[in-house]
Amino acid sequence: MRSGGGDTVFDFSWVDFNLFEVTYDVVVFVVGITAVLAALGVILCSSPIYCALYLIGHMMCLALLFLLYHAEFIAAVQIIVYAGAVMILFLFIIALLGGKKEKQEFSFHKFMALGFVGILSAELMLSARVGKTQPVEGMFTPAKITEVGSAKAVGIELFSRHLVPFELASILLLVAAVGVICLAKFPLKPLRRRAR
Amino acid sequence: MGPHFILLISALIFSIGALGFVIRRNPLIMFMSVELMLNSVNFLLIGYSNELRSIDGQIFALVIMTVAAAEVVVGLAIILTIFRTRHDLDVDHLDVLKG
Repeated sequence: MRSGGGDTVFDFSWVDFNLFEVTYDVVVFVVGITAVLAALGVILCSSPIYCALYLIGHMMCLALLFLLYHAEFIAAVQIIVYAGAVMILFLFIIALLGGKKEKQEFSFHKFMALGFVGILSAELMLSARVGKTQPVEGMFTPAKITEVGSAKAVGIELFSRHLVPFELASILLLVAAVGVICLAKFPLKPLRRRAR
Repeated sequence: MGPHFILLISALIFSIGALGFVIRRNPLIMFMSVELMLNSVNFLLIGYSNELRSIDGQIFALVIMTVAAAEVVVGLAIILTIFRTRHDLDVDHLDVLKG
């Protein structure tokens, strides 16, 4: 935000950074950290219903980040499909099964799991530092996406170059629906208790 | 605030999801941890599709969302079936596949 010239009392022309870019970076940073904190809440809460609520917050943060990364269509799909449909399904199942609290004790196995995941995380960040891949840049600049429209740009790509994965996804959804009906419809045989 | 931020946040969320999958014993929360891992990959794909001015990452993310929806539906149906036969939801007690 540069001032117009010498006609204002306060001259901000020495400010050589763009305030919009700085604000954008700050917003992306804050929303990203919030997403990480919400993810920590998912795995640290003892009650499943709070875990589900934290997961909804996490998905909202990710949808905001998608908006900031010029993927408006995916952000809408994230809100509708993930934070809407999938999480409502989770909440129904939790309400049906009774969200019992889980005892949190610290055992040697958990300590080992923590070390293992720490090593995994260090490996992931190391690969981020030493990676030397030089990818090809595409042609969809943010200006072009704004001009065409995010949903239209996704649709053009989806129905031209990525048609086979789209059709396979439809078959996958059909198979999942048939499988769930088979699981839910047929009566279950009574369980014979095994001697422990 | 370039691609390193995207990689860092994505790696953190993925690690948190993997940790939750390993240390929790409620199968519902294990499924939520799997969702966290899938979401971190989605975030990585979308962030890089913005960095590289390409839209293929968004298509990948869309396919991942489809797979995640199908996986959640089938997984929750399996959890419900297990609960109907056993009345117990601790994964440590589920050591036989036979019904």
